[in-house]
Amino acid sequence: MATLSRKCVPFTPFDGDLSRANVSIVTAAGVHLRDQEPFNIGDDLGDLSYRVMGDEITSADLMVTHDHYDHADADEDVNVVFPTDILRELADEGFIGGIARKHVGFMGYTMRLKDMYEQTAPAIADEIDKGSRADVVLLTGG
Amino acid sequence: MLGIPTVMVTVSPEVSAQMRPPRALYPNGFKVGNPFGRPGMRDLQTAVVKDALGLLTQNTRPGEIITMNYPDYGEYHEPVRVGRK
Repeated sequence: MATLSRKCVPFTPFDGDLSRANVSIVTAAGVHLRDQEPFNIGDDLGDLSYRVMGDEITSADLMVTHDHYDHADADEDVNVVFPTDILRELADEGFIGGIARKHVGFMGYTMRLKDMYEQTAPAIADEIDKGSRADVVLLTGG
Repeated sequence: MLGIPTVMVTVSPEVSAQMRPPRALYPNGFKVGNPFGRPGMRDLQTAVVKDALGLLTQNTRPGEIITMNYPDYGEYHEPVRVGRK
């Protein structure tokens, strides 16, 4: 993994056409599939794990497990933190090319920032880099 | 490694700015838990997603968080401020 200056802004140019781009969502809002293991909100140090979701998901397949923001609105309509239905509509109308093959959800709260930075974040980046066919990533939180 | 372009939507712009996101949108006054708007407000949610993705095609300054206004959201919520000594 490249070591970046603490003052550096990691930037990858987008030289493509948004109407042909596949979009992936990576969220720290604690979103996961209903049949996946929920994030461990009982651990005061936070849960460093993440969940991978496929491209066939709809908002009805998703739920939120997170104990450090009020996710009542997301419980009612997950699109407020994870706009999967919105992306699908944008793909249908041609604003974007399509939905990437993978999305990732994790619980952004942690007291183990170093482990999040050195382990979880690179693992998520690797997950998206390999096999998602994402051209762009939409990052969200709670 | 080339990397994949990203764009962030944040409701805590001062907190997010500390991580120097390459591109970021702050919907002005949206509360924590509502980065894309309120439940059921599909037009608003769509507008925010389109504006965020639109930053990918604009000549934004890396690390700058762009604030956009969405009057339809309603009540303004003050974002989390980073403490200053």
